[in-house]
Amino acid sequence: MTPEESLALIATQSERTRREIGPNPAVLLAVWGLVWLFGFGLIYVSAPPTALMPLWVAAVLTVVGFAGAMTYSAIYGIRSGRGVRGPSRLVGAMYGWSWMIAFGGLTVVNTALIRLGLDADLVPLLWSGTSLMLTGLMYLAGGMLWQSKLQYGLGVWIIACGAASVLAGGPYNFLVLSVAGGGGFLVASLVFLVRAR
Amino acid sequence: MSEDGLPQLDPVIHAQARLRVTVALSSLGPGDSITFPRLQQLLDMTPGNLSTHLRKLEDAGYVGITKAFEHRTPVTLVELTTRGRAAFEEYTKALHRLLEVPGDGRA
Repeated sequence: MTPEESLALIATQSERTRREIGPNPAVLLAVWGLVWLFGFGLIYVSAPPTALMPLWVAAVLTVVGFAGAMTYSAIYGIRSGRGVRGPSRLVGAMYGWSWMIAFGGLTVVNTALIRLGLDADLVPLLWSGTSLMLTGLMYLAGGMLWQSKLQYGLGVWIIACGAASVLAGGPYNFLVLSVAGGGGFLVASLVFLVRAR
Repeated sequence: MSEDGLPQLDPVIHAQARLRVTVALSSLGPGDSITFPRLQQLLDMTPGNLSTHLRKLEDAGYVGITKAFEHRTPVTLVELTTRGRAAFEEYTKALHRLLEVPGDGRA
């Protein structure tokens, strides 16, 4: 092997290992971006004044989309770490569980507030505000854990979208979530895709 | 350094198969190890071939091999040692130095 061949071999093999072991967030972010764009978009156009379809149909479709994306994320996370043992696996598992634990807690708090008589108009704002803060925070944490400024930046963007959606009020909060939130994920996905080249 | 002033390439690493093994292991996070079958799959090597090269790397102290049990199933875990990581770093540095030197660059 000449030094050039050695260097080429190092580049090829490290690229392949990185692609197979390390997570490739481009696809994952694209899935979430589309779910946000179409899910929240559907709710927005189904709410008055547009009322394109019954709101409950839109809500069911969105929930199905989110459940699918969550399942995909979980499978994806478990698959990418298979065969690897050690600190990074522990960090990955703790990160995955953090999503479940945090959203479990948030669901308990929000449903309790609703049952205690929260104004019905405020319910969508409560959900979009709190769940976006939490999602954004998890992306901030991911950015810190894997030293990814892009992931951290996405976290900042999601928190900004969450705040903006509450300030916009219903039903415009869904428009903000769809276009700015979903769009943010899609832009981040594109940046990861370009970087991986 | 050899007599003509060119850096020597570590013969343990400077072989196609062992270089690929070293690169794959160096891509893991510090302190992380990988199971034998997963490593085999990443490298497209037969078990026999991979074992042979791992043994040479282990003899040089570059690779650590641990046998453990997970849920009563035996697993073989492979990791790059600190020494192996340093040797790989030294090897890539030597490659770059060789490329800076005029000449055909063969080692």
